[in-house]
Amino acid sequence: MSNAGGTMLQSRELTKTYYSTDPPSQVIKGVDLAVGRGEFLVVMGASGSGKSTLLYNVSGMDRPTGGSVSLEGRDLTSLGDAEMSRVRLTRMGFIFQQAYFLANLSIRDNILLPALKAAPRQKAAAASRVDALLERFDIAHVGSHGITQVSGGQLQRAAICRALVSEPAVLFADEPTGALNSSMSAEVMDALTGVHREGTTIVMVTHDPACAARGDRVIYLRDGLVVDSRALGTWSAEESSRREDDLYAWLRDMGF
Amino acid sequence: MRNSLKLRYAANDLRRNKGVNAALVVILVLSAFMMATGAMVMERLFGSVERLFAEARAPHFIQMHMGDYDPAELDRFAEEHPEVEEWLIEEMVGFDSAAIAWHRPATGESGDLSDSLIDNLFVSQNTEFDFLLDEAGAIPRPAPGEVYVPVAYQQEYGLQVGDELTVATESGPRDLEVQGFVRDAQMASSLSSSTRFLVAEEDRRDLEEAGGGVPEIIVEYRLTDVDAAADVQRAYESDDALSRDGQAVTYRLMLMIYVLSDGLVAIALVFASLVLIAIALLNLRFVIRGTLEDEVREIGAMKAIGLPHRTITGLYLPKYRVMTLLACVVGGALAVAATGLLTRGIQVNYIEAPVGAATVLAPVLALVLVYVIVIGICRGVLSGVRRIQVVSALVHGSVHDERQTARRTRRQARRVRRSSLTAYRGGNLGGRLLLTDLRAEAGQWVLIPLVFLLAAVMMVLPMNMLNTFESPRFVTYMGVPEVDVRADLRFIDDLDSARDDVLAEMEGDDRLTDVRTFADVTYEVDVTVDGEEVRDLLRVEVGDYSGDTIEFFRGERPGPGQIALSVLAADEYGVAVGDDLTIHRDGEPTTVAVSGVYQSITGGGYGAKLHGDAPTGAVGHVVYADAVDGVDADAVAAEYDERFADASVLPMPEYTRQTLSNLTGSFQSTAVLAGVFGLGVASVITVMFLELRLTRERTRMGLLSAIGFSTREIIAQVRVKTLLAAALGTVLGLVFAATAGESLVSMLLDLSGLGIVDLEFITNPVLVYAAYPAVLIGAGYLGAVLRTARLRRADKSAWLTGG
Repeated sequence: MSNAGGTMLQSRELTKTYYSTDPPSQVIKGVDLAVGRGEFLVVMGASGSGKSTLLYNVSGMDRPTGGSVSLEGRDLTSLGDAEMSRVRLTRMGFIFQQAYFLANLSIRDNILLPALKAAPRQKAAAASRVDALLERFDIAHVGSHGITQVSGGQLQRAAICRALVSEPAVLFADEPTGALNSSMSAEVMDALTGVHREGTTIVMVTHDPACAARGDRVIYLRDGLVVDSRALGTWSAEESSRREDDLYAWLRDMGF
Repeated sequence: MRNSLKLRYAANDLRRNKGVNAALVVILVLSAFMMATGAMVMERLFGSVERLFAEARAPHFIQMHMGDYDPAELDRFAEEHPEVEEWLIEEMVGFDSAAIAWHRPATGESGDLSDSLIDNLFVSQNTEFDFLLDEAGAIPRPAPGEVYVPVAYQQEYGLQVGDELTVATESGPRDLEVQGFVRDAQMASSLSSSTRFLVAEEDRRDLEEAGGGVPEIIVEYRLTDVDAAADVQRAYESDDALSRDGQAVTYRLMLMIYVLSDGLVAIALVFASLVLIAIALLNLRFVIRGTLEDEVREIGAMKAIGLPHRTITGLYLPKYRVMTLLACVVGGALAVAATGLLTRGIQVNYIEAPVGAATVLAPVLALVLVYVIVIGICRGVLSGVRRIQVVSALVHGSVHDERQTARRTRRQARRVRRSSLTAYRGGNLGGRLLLTDLRAEAGQWVLIPLVFLLAAVMMVLPMNMLNTFESPRFVTYMGVPEVDVRADLRFIDDLDSARDDVLAEMEGDDRLTDVRTFADVTYEVDVTVDGEEVRDLLRVEVGDYSGDTIEFFRGERPGPGQIALSVLAADEYGVAVGDDLTIHRDGEPTTVAVSGVYQSITGGGYGAKLHGDAPTGAVGHVVYADAVDGVDADAVAAEYDERFADASVLPMPEYTRQTLSNLTGSFQSTAVLAGVFGLGVASVITVMFLELRLTRERTRMGLLSAIGFSTREIIAQVRVKTLLAAALGTVLGLVFAATAGESLVSMLLDLSGLGIVDLEFITNPVLVYAAYPAVLIGAGYLGAVLRTARLRRADKSAWLTGG
């Protein structure tokens, strides 16, 4: 666990209850979580264990029912909608299972959008950052394309570009490879690993142990509670199969 | 078992999309209601007209005629045509509404019929057919001094048995006592240009001899077969020896005129229902396509396990069947209640028909039609299931096949090339995004401008009509100048000296200026109808037209030796500006040049203005005066009205209001109804559209939220899109109403023979161009505000995860 830079993201006694169901269902039941600066944390668990709910509650997309969340020491739960949006815009990046994009903008404009929103007057700087990201993730040649004209892997890499364009403090990924085949998955995970190596904190929810093996630490959620965690250390290509075996064994013990 | 599954599926879906389904049901209920009401009103009207025709023994063919005729020739014609079963000549004398007043001796109340725009024909009861029937359906025969008044007047003026009716003739007023009220099979329509009063034969003859009225005849035929009417009409018209300078009408034409005039409400209802059905269908298409897109994977799975598309379609259709059926039942029930209200006028003018099979069948058929159209279209849209391909559906979650996908991709590529965020210069990024969206999704958003356009036209046209008819400037269309005070003198023995008294007083009054007087004089005019020279009677206002006068549609005011004619009179005589016209009075012919043509709805649209001194023996006099600056014209008019018992003195706006109160009354109700209806439909559709649209925009909103747009900004985008779409539709609606709408109304007025051929709306700009659009757009915006307010509390992740 690379937690040398202190805590980036923290939750205390975090709960989330949905009152729209009858009876109300408590999906997160008091989660204490600390994600170190520069850490790659993976959240695993069976379907319905509350992984995605935890991710959306610590990222401020949803409002927790109880408890608190802080980012870089700042309490997020007390922020209003506009302030929280500003935090998401400038300090967070998101990657989803489906590559959600605005269908009426090109790939490049989709990536540019958060940067322009964050700093409308610094258009040139934003544009050169976008171009650099497109080059880096090898999708510069499809920048002017519409979102239906590119492959799933290219689209998910574009989603990573969009998540990084505002140079976020933490990147949230919800099953980023869930809709991809294995070669595209590897492409995306390589990209995420590279981003992590450069110091970006990542919180990723996944079902896939191969993807989870990329993380520094894996926590396991069952019925809305963190029941165990496993430190894996820094990932390297040479040790990947050993890490995966180790992780599989642990997950079997967890009943995964 | 299978049916219960389908119904369960339908019930679940109805529960899940409560808002959308409720709005759809509202629109469908309204469509069904209007269609059924239209059908029922029409059935009632047909039945009631037929019953009146049967009981009154209505003629099968009639020919009107003014002036001399040869009874022997008519006799010959009847004998030559065996299909003529019975025939008669009805002699009538016509008086202008302004020449008839009433008085109630018991209470001292009184009034006149001058605001009626109908010709009043005094007749005696026929002996063989074409009877005027009293309220009990009997055939009354009035004694001398008695009169039976048309039921329409009973309603309009609240006349009662025992009232006294005074007719102004050239030999002084004639008094008759109201004995009852009659229904008239020939002239029953509420839009009929004439109506018949029943008097004793000696009274009719006396009125004719007294002068001031127009003697006319109607030759009437009953035939062995109603269908022979057209042949008899042709034979009559090709017989040169017969008189025929008036209208000829057949039984079927009469029936059609009644249905078109009193059935106008029904026709309007059916038309409005069709517009609503069109809106409902646009919505249904939108909803069903959305459902197919939402459930494409399920559909793909069903196709994969081999279910035929008919079975899959069968799963979705019951919901629409249930909704449409419900709408038809509710709409039908409402229609029964509304028909009672809407047919009151019909029951007065005609004889209420008994309830029969047709009474039930008409609305049922109308509702079946609504059901069949709606379900047919649902089936059509649902047939899209057939085109869904298993692989596209299951793998890509797409309802489109490869060719469609390729086409969409090309279209999208073109679109994204055109819109670049780097090209935008500052401003609001959210605004930029919403414009890009609106452009790209114009096909879906078009529903809102379309509905608002229709709503705006629906609201503005009746309001413009009302405002035009209520405006003091409307006097232009009444053949009356724009002045401050108008004094009318009629129904008194010594008209000329009474006129002189008022005139002298007004001319000596320094509060009044520009006092002028005109005499109402009946002239005879030589006209050629079908190559035959006949003499027509024309009511002419004689006086000095050199001062301020009316507006002329063509030409200008009459000078010495000149006459101006109303549009209808000029049309009938076939004369234009510059032509000569020979007019006769007391056998003395005078040839005058036509100086101008004006639009007028008074006197049935027929009249003329002659420059010259008023002759003696006029039927009435009018004195106009303007108030000098700072003088209250209302007060002056009231003072004169009080002082001169023989004169009716009114401020001009009051005169207009009284004269047109019937027309403006109906425009007022129409304007209010149309306003409420337009606003209601526009807001219901807005809410429903947004309900659907927001479902489609969930992932977009979720994404914008994730990348840092606040909920307020996201909501603002939806609201502004709605506002822009509603505003576009409203503006287009206003433009349409001001251009094509005005021409359309002019055309309808021209066709109605009211005497107006070119109406320019006198609008209330603040109301029509500020208040109405603000309220309409505001209603749409309010719908958007109410619908989007809920978004604030939503968990944003649910927009992405579909939870």
